[in-house]
Amino acid sequence: MATFAPSVPALRPLAPSASQLDVAADLLALLRDTRTEPRPDDRLEALTLAVAADLPVLLWGEPGIGKTSALTQLADSLELPLTTVIASVHEPSDFSGLPIVGDDPAQQGVPLAPPDWAVRLVREGRGLLFLDELSTATPAVQAALLRLVLERRIGSLQLPPGVRIVAAANPRSSAADGWELSAPLANRFVHLQWTHDHEVVVRGLGGTWPRATLPRLDPQRLPDAVDRARRAVCGLLDVRPALVHRLPGSETRRGGPWPSPRSWDMTVCLIAFATAAGSSRDVLSLLVRGTVGDGPGLELLAWLDRMDLPDPEELLADPENAELPERGDRRQATLEGVVEAVKARPSKERWDAAWALLVRALETGAPDLVVVPATTLAALRQEEWDVPDAIERLAGAVSVSRRADRSVARAVTAGR
Amino acid sequence: MSADTSVGVGAETGGAEGGTPGPSAPLALDREKLFAARLHAVKVRPYLATALFALHVVESRRVPTMAVDRHWRCYVSPHFVARTPVEELAGVWVHEVAHLLRDHHGRGDRVAKQRGLTGAGDRLRMNIAADCEINDDVYGDGLAQPEGAVLPKLLGLSEGELMEDYLRQFRLGPWLDDMAAWLDCGSGADGLEREWDLGPDGAHGLSEQEQDEVRFRVAQGITGRPGDAPKGWRRWAEEVFHPPQPWRELLGAALRSAASGSGGGTDHTYGRPSRRSVALPGIVLPSLRRTPPRVAVVIDTSGSVSDTELGSALLEVTAISRAVGGRSDLVTVLSCDAAARIVDPLCTAEGIPLLGGGGTDLRTGFAAALRTRPDVVVVLTDGQTPWPEARPYCRTVVGLFPRPRTGSSYENDPDYRPDRPPDWARVVEIG
Repeated sequence: MATFAPSVPALRPLAPSASQLDVAADLLALLRDTRTEPRPDDRLEALTLAVAADLPVLLWGEPGIGKTSALTQLADSLELPLTTVIASVHEPSDFSGLPIVGDDPAQQGVPLAPPDWAVRLVREGRGLLFLDELSTATPAVQAALLRLVLERRIGSLQLPPGVRIVAAANPRSSAADGWELSAPLANRFVHLQWTHDHEVVVRGLGGTWPRATLPRLDPQRLPDAVDRARRAVCGLLDVRPALVHRLPGSETRRGGPWPSPRSWDMTVCLIAFATAAGSSRDVLSLLVRGTVGDGPGLELLAWLDRMDLPDPEELLADPENAELPERGDRRQATLEGVVEAVKARPSKERWDAAWALLVRALETGAPDLVVVPATTLAALRQEEWDVPDAIERLAGAVSVSRRADRSVARAVTAGR
Repeated sequence: MSADTSVGVGAETGGAEGGTPGPSAPLALDREKLFAARLHAVKVRPYLATALFALHVVESRRVPTMAVDRHWRCYVSPHFVARTPVEELAGVWVHEVAHLLRDHHGRGDRVAKQRGLTGAGDRLRMNIAADCEINDDVYGDGLAQPEGAVLPKLLGLSEGELMEDYLRQFRLGPWLDDMAAWLDCGSGADGLEREWDLGPDGAHGLSEQEQDEVRFRVAQGITGRPGDAPKGWRRWAEEVFHPPQPWRELLGAALRSAASGSGGGTDHTYGRPSRRSVALPGIVLPSLRRTPPRVAVVIDTSGSVSDTELGSALLEVTAISRAVGGRSDLVTVLSCDAAARIVDPLCTAEGIPLLGGGGTDLRTGFAAALRTRPDVVVVLTDGQTPWPEARPYCRTVVGLFPRPRTGSSYENDPDYRPDRPPDWARVVEIG
């Protein structure tokens, strides 16, 4: 396919006596000559935001699907030096410190010497530490690593705040050894599932790898972002207290994310970061579901959805120029919100404005969405209120409604 | 409200009008009829309202009837709307949205990958199998069954199964020609792109996360009031975000983690210095030690567990325990019932010594297992048994055969709960 053809660098003319290794080097140079193309990548964006928010991230994914290359790209974009530590080739002492017996252990104790890469990280003060292949390390190594992730200590060294940590593990079902995340540990991570994208891999092997444009935090939006994040989480937990703390019950959910005050706190943080970066709903969804789990995460997203609907009061204030959501289910929810607002504080003006809004909805979208809000609104009429002219224009909705009623009646009779 | 209807009343019994206009005459899409049908569907299936309203309607002359794509767009043929009665259109709406809610395109892709199904014929079979999964219980109760809907009965199959199961049970054949009014449900039903699809970049598509949110809200509506929804929808709502996991892999993970956790398995130890220490004077290094775990398997043969189920689970346990380093002489199998019918031949073939137990009380089985000083106890049971009150000193993994729910006291007594295995055991549901 034409799009896969890489640009061929000019080969230097080979002397007839060129050694086989020189020819091999040329072939390798050709193979390595790849290009990149911009391509949005939700998971990479989610990872970037979580790392920027200084939360420990755990990437779950089979080996060989490009976790390391994603981390390389992330380190580039955050301008952090990348330190990769393959956990499975290390010993526990490489993370908890090597005990060194000095002249007089009884007097001076046995110091725990940190490994060189840790010393370099601390000296540099900043960096991205990638702990790869956690799941194939022995349990003792895993235990030592978790202290590193959670307490940020290696032996007697304390990692500076500028160091960010990302870990990677194989899914539990394919883990060769006994990798098992206990519930308290799982609760401290943002879990991201890493899978390969067929299209990206095929294009990449053809010579063009994707280059994600990573999110930039907008300094203007910071206060709003914090406000939105706090309102969302507090609003939801206010009405759903059962979601505040819920240990994972079944074997299938073991080792995954679950809701607790700690993970909700992380969620507030992540919503604020995603809002400040202007990230898409998909990125936010990955982050939220990876922090508190699917069920509570989806409830929070639904809550955010409702928060993001147009404000009924604003719509009622200017029904002629109202912007209603395109998507049918959101539009219906908005209209129902408007009717609720009228019901909460009824007045003739608000009632008329609501009718005008329904007419606008009918003229710009599907008529069946208007039927239920119109019926509810009609029921709110008080005796002295005259029927507004706008109602005439709702004829389409009325006929749709009648037709549906007759059709239901026919179906019910036929079913008997 | 005083407004009166003046449009479209006559077209309602469109089915009786017979012949459709030729393709040369451009027929406008009767939106009112189409949306009246959606309203009908919402009235009789309120829990599907979010999903039905989230669909974006696209008028298309290339679609034979109505079809959906994987981005939640609904393609509608004006001719189909004109010739179909409203109540049948309502059924089609629910049918199409069911394809999307049940993720038939994603499941179709996964099945195609697993079983190596590549042809267009296979995708057609997926569409038929998916139709069977939907059609067996969505109609009735105020919703008319569209003409030509494929039912499992027509293929001679039993009801209430999943698309993946139906797919195994039939082939394409001449019977297909008899079904004149075939419903092509589009790429949303089987994952195969159609020529009318707008594709991922087209307008008004739902992203995967948005689709999940819609599914979640619908599932919440169903689980909130489970009495209103048919069985198929209730099962869907229960499993949509927590599908049953492959028990083989879960059992393996549970066993591996139990075996390597408590002193067994491979781990670093300071108990013996590493050989590297010789080259590094003054530094104490741990060495890698391998202690193969002892595994005791207790089998409860009293329950209504089939021989094949029990046999496959037992084979799995011995295979896994061997993989974590337990040699076959370290695996003990005990049967907790006089009927040692499966265990016997299996264990003879596998060279596992069989000790035997007594009665149907698992506590005796536990006691016998603990006498072999194991690192892990694996119990295969259907759970209808008293459990030991105290936690045993070693890790316990329970492979639980779920009791069939139909016809049991579950249906009549909602508060009935069988004895669950205790909290200290890791429980994996088998089958």
